Amino acid sequence: MSFVEVSHTADVKIHATAPTMEALFAEAFAALMQVMYGPDRKGGIQRTVTLEAADPESLLHDFLSEVLFISDVDGLVFSSARIAISGSRLEAVLDGEPFDRARHLLGTEVKGISYSGLAIGRDANGYMLDIVFDV
Amino acid sequence: MIEGVIRIGTNEWEVPVGFVPNMRVPGRFYLSESLGSILEPGAVQQLANVATLPGIIGHSLAMPDIHWGYGFPIGGVAAFSLEEGVISPGGVGFDINCGVRLFTTPLEAKDITGRRDLVDALFSAVPTGVGAKSPLKVSPKTLDEMMTKGARWAVESGYGLPRDLERCEDRGCMKQADSSQVSAKAKQRGVPQGGTLGSGNHFLELQVVREIYDPDAARAFGISAGQVCCMIHCGSRGLGHQVCTDHLKTLEQATKRYHIALPDRQLACAPILSPEGKAYFGAMAASANYAWANRQMIMHTARNVISRLCGIDYNDMPLVYDVAHNVAKREEHQYGGKRSEVCVHRKGATRAFGPGSPDLPPDLGRTGQPVIIPGSMGTSSFVLHGTHAAMEKTFGSTCHGAGRIMSRTQAKKKLSGKEIAAGLLKEGIIVRAPNENAIADEAPDVYKPSDEVVNVVHEVGISKLVARLVPVGVIKG
Repeated sequence: MSFVEVSHTADVKIHATAPTMEALFAEAFAALMQVMYGPDRKGGIQRTVTLEAADPESLLHDFLSEVLFISDVDGLVFSSARIAISGSRLEAVLDGEPFDRARHLLGTEVKGISYSGLAIGRDANGYMLDIVFDV
Repeated sequence: MIEGVIRIGTNEWEVPVGFVPNMRVPGRFYLSESLGSILEPGAVQQLANVATLPGIIGHSLAMPDIHWGYGFPIGGVAAFSLEEGVISPGGVGFDINCGVRLFTTPLEAKDITGRRDLVDALFSAVPTGVGAKSPLKVSPKTLDEMMTKGARWAVESGYGLPRDLERCEDRGCMKQADSSQVSAKAKQRGVPQGGTLGSGNHFLELQVVREIYDPDAARAFGISAGQVCCMIHCGSRGLGHQVCTDHLKTLEQATKRYHIALPDRQLACAPILSPEGKAYFGAMAASANYAWANRQMIMHTARNVISRLCGIDYNDMPLVYDVAHNVAKREEHQYGGKRSEVCVHRKGATRAFGPGSPDLPPDLGRTGQPVIIPGSMGTSSFVLHGTHAAMEKTFGSTCHGAGRIMSRTQAKKKLSGKEIAAGLLKEGIIVRAPNENAIADEAPDVYKPSDEVVNVVHEVGISKLVARLVPVGVIKG
């Protein structure tokens, strides 16, 4: 796990690093699920997400917003995501399980993915991001 | 105080044009010296960013619960001219019409002291926390009515009394709602969540009126010392969150189309009268109506539980008032020597219309609008009334709550939910929550002292204290 929750007064701010853009997106995805449902998350049920956006920040924003939507309407808690990014296009297979009140009530609801403070960067070691979840 | 901010009164501060590039008007916020010591530079930057938006009039404003948000600061208020101004989801928030309502009961503190069964029953009856679904059946067809009629739909469906509507901001319905601008995705999220509390800072609280500051206003509001009341804090749930997400995307495109330069993407906006601006406003108003219906349904559930367990009549629990604190409204205000319709954004701020406002029911016309300011689990909540000063200084707005000062990461390190609950129990406050983190996240220490925040708005005069209420039973979302 290479994402960390950074101090933010009102909301949840995540900082993550990863060797590739796909792994960076997977970290942000894992952080979102961790914040909402806690650490005990299993696989078994798949959902696919395909979308396009003009820049990496929008792609990540739209991807996580879509994950929020699917998780909410299908009542699914995801444990992992297989992500492929090609230019402006993202394809992801999410792996999860039905929401279980006994195990998944450890987190807090995320209302939305904020553009404020959303930044994706790159240096010699790989990629990094900062993102704020509105809770 | 932060460098560049100018003091212009005991509790009034100005952020001059030039604090950030391209400001069209100055910023102004209301804060005591001691609250100023914990003000985040990021929040002032956001206040200044709002001042760069086209068509803003007067000042970019913030209330004393100002803190760092996204787009607008939390506690931010800004009004825009209809002809030249913009509308922005960043000035409303993801939780459209997050708000508070308060109803009274004929019970006294002694009637509910130690009644864990009552708190437990409320906790069981009102769906709370992540993943909670409503036991109330809302069909896709009735969802449309919720979005169009708001609280009136709930009352007509048996979830309340006709008089409740008189005691809601806008009578619980924004007439400009356009449910056709609410996406299928947002509707899908709205169907199973009618009557659910949500999580985070949402709550349902049993409170006792501890102090009356203004007996005449308290009488008009139906509040008396020692009385048990119930406060509900929640919003438009996943439906509103999705509307914000969807329209942010559309408005980002619109921002480019209308050549609006923005200092922050979360301030994506469109001219109020543009097709994109109207579409967002219609969808936002539909979400606001859903939120009013939602709070009405939760109040209905709570009234039923209290009635059953305490042997009192459902009809003896009148609503004091319901206020929205995340919303954009078209309102008439006096500005530049004339009265005109403007679009007021309130992001974590409460409407506080003064005496004589045409929106108020006749029995509140002399007093001004009731303003409900929730505290935190261990601290007081307050009822105030709107004033003429608010109409003059803040487009009829005041603070919305205590305002956070500690992040969730700090809160969890410092405090355990179990210890906090035990400590509160010693003070006579029973807490129920879906998990311990939810208690630690929202512990009293993570908020500014609520009395300091309301003292500022009282001193500045943008609303005036009527009553103080203390918590005795807390249902955390």
